[in-house]
Amino acid sequence: MEICDTYYSKDEFVETASGNKVNRQTVLCGSQNIVLHGKVIVDKGAIIRGDLANVRTGRYCIISKNAVIRPPFKQFSKGVAFFPLHIGDHVYIGENSVISAASIGSYVYIGKNAVIGRRCVIKDCSIIEDGAILPPETTLASFMKFTKEGKIEGGQGTESVPPAMLDLMVDFTKSFYEHFIPSTH
Amino acid sequence: MSRNENKVKIMPKAIVCEDCIIQGDVTISSGCVVHPSAQIIAETGPIVIGENCIIEEYAKIHNRIQPESPDKPHILTIGPNNIFEVGSVIEASKIGEKNIFECKSFVSSDVEVSNGCVICAGCHLSGGQHLLENTVIFGKHCQQREALDRISGSHMLQLDFLRKILPNYHHLRKAKQ
Repeated sequence: MEICDTYYSKDEFVETASGNKVNRQTVLCGSQNIVLHGKVIVDKGAIIRGDLANVRTGRYCIISKNAVIRPPFKQFSKGVAFFPLHIGDHVYIGENSVISAASIGSYVYIGKNAVIGRRCVIKDCSIIEDGAILPPETTLASFMKFTKEGKIEGGQGTESVPPAMLDLMVDFTKSFYEHFIPSTH
Repeated sequence: MSRNENKVKIMPKAIVCEDCIIQGDVTISSGCVVHPSAQIIAETGPIVIGENCIIEEYAKIHNRIQPESPDKPHILTIGPNNIFEVGSVIEASKIGEKNIFECKSFVSSDVEVSNGCVICAGCHLSGGQHLLENTVIFGKHCQQREALDRISGSHMLQLDFLRKILPNYHHLRKAKQ
């Protein structure tokens, strides 16, 4: 699978020593609590709420335009606590998605306009369709697909999630990163 | 930022982050928390937001109801203790108290929301109607039902937490009347 080149203007993006490419128009609150493990792309208008709790992403994550990464909270009898949000490696998060999960595994594809409710746990190699809405506290097992209709599909003998999901996501996120290049003029 | 910037009234003890978009004649009562990138746009008439509301990122409260006569604009009054979650778009004509508008919900301009209603994530509500008290709009077909019990607890604890945390990380707009 070959991805065509995406060009960005050098003035708009900051590239860190570890290869993260972060748009200047993102809202990174509490940046001391945000760890991007390298080669992560954060596109325009994305919000990462590090002020509420720690946010950690693995390598080769792609956070698209206007996505909101927001650590989940839980209400206890005495007060509220926000929980840290962990995202694995090679995760794609589509445009306008709202992520309030407790943890997201590696090789996960999240479509655009998806809503991941509070304290969801998404395991490795799963797919969230465009516009899907995960209710709070949902757990999605690995190699499962959450559809727009609100069903969990997959399991043995089905092809909802390709068996080669791991390799596909590695290829996809790596080539997305490699083809995300500054415009020369 | 906007030509009507001076009409924004922020009461003391409200926490309004600086990088949110507030346009027109907007009153934010004390105890409210407005997260960064929230939008409150009073286009055709003023917006009055009651006490202890939470307005999260990319939530958009928009008053664009055309007034019957130009000298009597429609005032969008929002009662106390409402929560507007990430990406909700609210154009309702009137909102009571203790309502929750979840992520990416949409309420059109001919809807009147009473008290204790919940519009679940992704639900769209349009067409002239008046929501009865404690209505829940849920599911992909936006079905309606009455809440079985009062929404457990309140969001005061969350508000207290946000009031403690947000000033450490954000520039806040000064209160002015």
